Amino acid sequence: MKYLERRVIHGLLLLIGVSILCFALSAAAPGNFFDEMKLNPQISPSTVAGLRARYGFDQPLVWRYGHWVESVLRGEWGYSFAYNCPVRSLLLVRARNTLILTGLATLLAWLIAVPLGVWTANRRGRWDDRLSMASTSLLLSVPELVIALVLLYWAVRIHTLPVGGMASVDFGGLGVQAKLFDLALHLVVPVTTLVLASLPLLVRHIRASMIEVLQAPFVQAARAHGIGGARLLFRYALPAAANPLSSLLGLSVGALLSGSLLVEVITGWPGLGPLLLDAALARDIYVVVGAVMASTLFMIFGGILADILLVAVDPRVRLGKV
Amino acid sequence: MHRWGCFATLLLACGHACFASSAPQPPQHGEDLLVTDNQIGRYGGTLVLAQRSEPKTLNPVTAADAPSREVIGRLTADLIHINRWTQNTEPALAKAWSVSNDGRVFTVKLRHGLRFSDGQPFDADDVVFSFQVYLDENVHSPQRDLLVVGGKPIKVQKIDQYSVRFTLAQPYAAAERIFDSLAMMPRHLLERPYKAGQFAQALTLNTPPAEIAGMGPFRVKQYIPGQRIVLERNPFYWKADRSKNRLPYLDELVFLFVGNEDAQAIRFQAGETDIISRLSAENYALLSKDVATRGTDFFDLGPSLEYDFLVFNLNDLRSKNLDSIAAKQAWFQAVKFRQAVSSAIDRDSIVKLVYTGHGAALWGNVSPSNKLWTDQMLPHTPYSLDRARELLKSEGFSWRSDGQLIDRQGVAVEFSVITSTSNAQRMKMATLIQDDLGKLGMNVHVVPLEFRALLDRVFQTYDYEASIMALGGGDADPNPEMNVWLSNGGTHLWRLGEARPATDWEALIDQLMQKQMVQLKYKERKHLYDQAQEIIAANVPFVFLATPNILVGARKNLGNFKPAILDPNTLWNVEQLYFIPGNGARPGEKP
Repeated sequence: MKYLERRVIHGLLLLIGVSILCFALSAAAPGNFFDEMKLNPQISPSTVAGLRARYGFDQPLVWRYGHWVESVLRGEWGYSFAYNCPVRSLLLVRARNTLILTGLATLLAWLIAVPLGVWTANRRGRWDDRLSMASTSLLLSVPELVIALVLLYWAVRIHTLPVGGMASVDFGGLGVQAKLFDLALHLVVPVTTLVLASLPLLVRHIRASMIEVLQAPFVQAARAHGIGGARLLFRYALPAAANPLSSLLGLSVGALLSGSLLVEVITGWPGLGPLLLDAALARDIYVVVGAVMASTLFMIFGGILADILLVAVDPRVRLGKV
Repeated sequence: MHRWGCFATLLLACGHACFASSAPQPPQHGEDLLVTDNQIGRYGGTLVLAQRSEPKTLNPVTAADAPSREVIGRLTADLIHINRWTQNTEPALAKAWSVSNDGRVFTVKLRHGLRFSDGQPFDADDVVFSFQVYLDENVHSPQRDLLVVGGKPIKVQKIDQYSVRFTLAQPYAAAERIFDSLAMMPRHLLERPYKAGQFAQALTLNTPPAEIAGMGPFRVKQYIPGQRIVLERNPFYWKADRSKNRLPYLDELVFLFVGNEDAQAIRFQAGETDIISRLSAENYALLSKDVATRGTDFFDLGPSLEYDFLVFNLNDLRSKNLDSIAAKQAWFQAVKFRQAVSSAIDRDSIVKLVYTGHGAALWGNVSPSNKLWTDQMLPHTPYSLDRARELLKSEGFSWRSDGQLIDRQGVAVEFSVITSTSNAQRMKMATLIQDDLGKLGMNVHVVPLEFRALLDRVFQTYDYEASIMALGGGDADPNPEMNVWLSNGGTHLWRLGEARPATDWEALIDQLMQKQMVQLKYKERKHLYDQAQEIIAANVPFVFLATPNILVGARKNLGNFKPAILDPNTLWNVEQLYFIPGNGARPGEKP
């Protein structure tokens, strides 16, 4: 329990550190939200100056940070200059969309990676293992941006998959089943991209852990006792290999909010990605800070989850022997 | 008592039904509808468009971004409107207007019996309220500056329920154009937040649709964050066709938020949208050739009103500690140097390579498609390296044996050009200019910068040598560009923040622009503006480069589709658009 308390306090300190860093970096970035107005000949410099003053741009950075902390305590997470509303309301709905996408992609990636990694470890050195390794090497070398573009090109050509967004225009008028089907169709391109992008790393980690365990004396002993096949792999070897994988799972959970930003932008998924990109380019800094803080929260949560899993799967950690 | 109660309940129910239903209401007795001369259309259908980014607000007073203004423009209406096709003003919510002999007093007569999209009546009180908000300094409306003439805000007085008087401090040429796109707002909904000092927070995207009303052809039905905004027909809209069918014909108008121009093109190619606006030349070529886009028409409307230019940094750098740039300003300040640069730039190549032929070369700030204001006599400096060399020689420049251009002191001519990474066309232009000026022996470095970083250098730090930018694209009239040409203007980019004109020719431009602003006769005004254009072209504060053509696409089955050069290019007559049945409709979508 004390360990958990310590981790939570560390997490809070990390959040404070990230928020200060975010503020400092955003202040150092050239330009501000109102600069684009200066290019409009119909807007006078005094109007731009008035808007800057209204949003506190003429105040020192420390004052602005304090103001932002106040709004975080009120649950608003700052105020968006562009949308004229609290950041929280902007983030919540988009974070939900991001979690639908990344949650499903992470689940699918793990469901594919675990059996594939275990199987290739067991078939180490054979043609199917080599084929799997070659495929994962290829996928590792292809950026997710390229995967997304290839899938989008394919979607445009086959005319049966939507080429962006989260729902069809007539979504509101559909029944529940049709809505789910429509959502599933819209998920195909972004989820496939994310799965293909994360799969090689997971498969390789699982394979490596499993190879190590399969060489352990207890596995040899189990084999000598006639235990083999799937039972040996999944009942005995996999739990023993779960130690490093629990950290990987924690990382996967931690990346749920931030791992799909680029794919969301390319495929038009209405998650945090497009909002964050727009906000960063427009210097809507409280939206940027809010999104970064939300991602940091998930990272901290993922780290704590990994530690809890580690304690759960490894008795040595539980007993304090490692 | 009981009977009155029932009657009141019935009235309330009718009122609610009127708001809830978006079916067009039959014209009412005394309702002064504006009759349009479009082809008579057919009711029904949903028009789908894609926007490059999400609108940020539905508040017409505070909106500054293009996507918000595009949506708001469909929800609201103005008193006097610029017809995007003719580029002239025409009556809108104002049935007529008169101007006093001294050009200072406008008396506007409103149409009778009109209603907002929530069914509430529209009258002079709404007009006075709207202008009160626009002019309020505490609201910080970007449009406020338009309403300050001769340093004083326009005075707005109600004469009677349907008449309003506008008094200007001084005569203002084409003053009726000021009214274009100034949305008339419902006092009954917005007076309370305004009085509470909460106007900027009113009409956000999260405001419930029932609390939003306007005089535009559509009203808000649904907003889904990050995905789309759905507008439905305003059943009380004040325009009708010749057969007295109340417009608009379309049931719904949907704006999808897709992120960028390429995504816009993909959605159009996949048949998910019906109209695509402001295409780049590359996407235009790609889409118009693609077999998947059969059933669509593409339009090259000719040059836009935007102008791309190269500008040299002539700002006063004494307080900026930018000595290396200040040293180079000796070159930039020489008119002959700028003229030589202008002569050495091959504009035809820019049009051909950057805009794949869908653009026009420019030698002045007024696009050839600006029917009223382009100066036909403006000289078009031909592309000539020989002329450029002669100009440089006469200014004391010479060449080393390796071809490098050097100034009188023997310093090699070398400078950087900053441009925005978000604009692929301007990046290409910079590379072509680098190549062109290299032939003159100038060593030019292209420095791509993120857009706001570029603006910060141009407007704030002055830490740049030259920049490729673009301006224009709004109204065809010269007045909205006053701040570019007046020496104390906020967009006088080559030398910002001048207390007084730095050169004689800038002083002359100041005089001409001030005179044309108060000149009420078009012919005299045109003469003054032509002179200003000629002085600008001769002194080259901007090296004008090119203007892109307006390229748009639409489904073939879209009736009354009449795209125009002025913004909004495709939706300016959205109330008249309709789907022609059985003419290549999107499968399963259209009537």
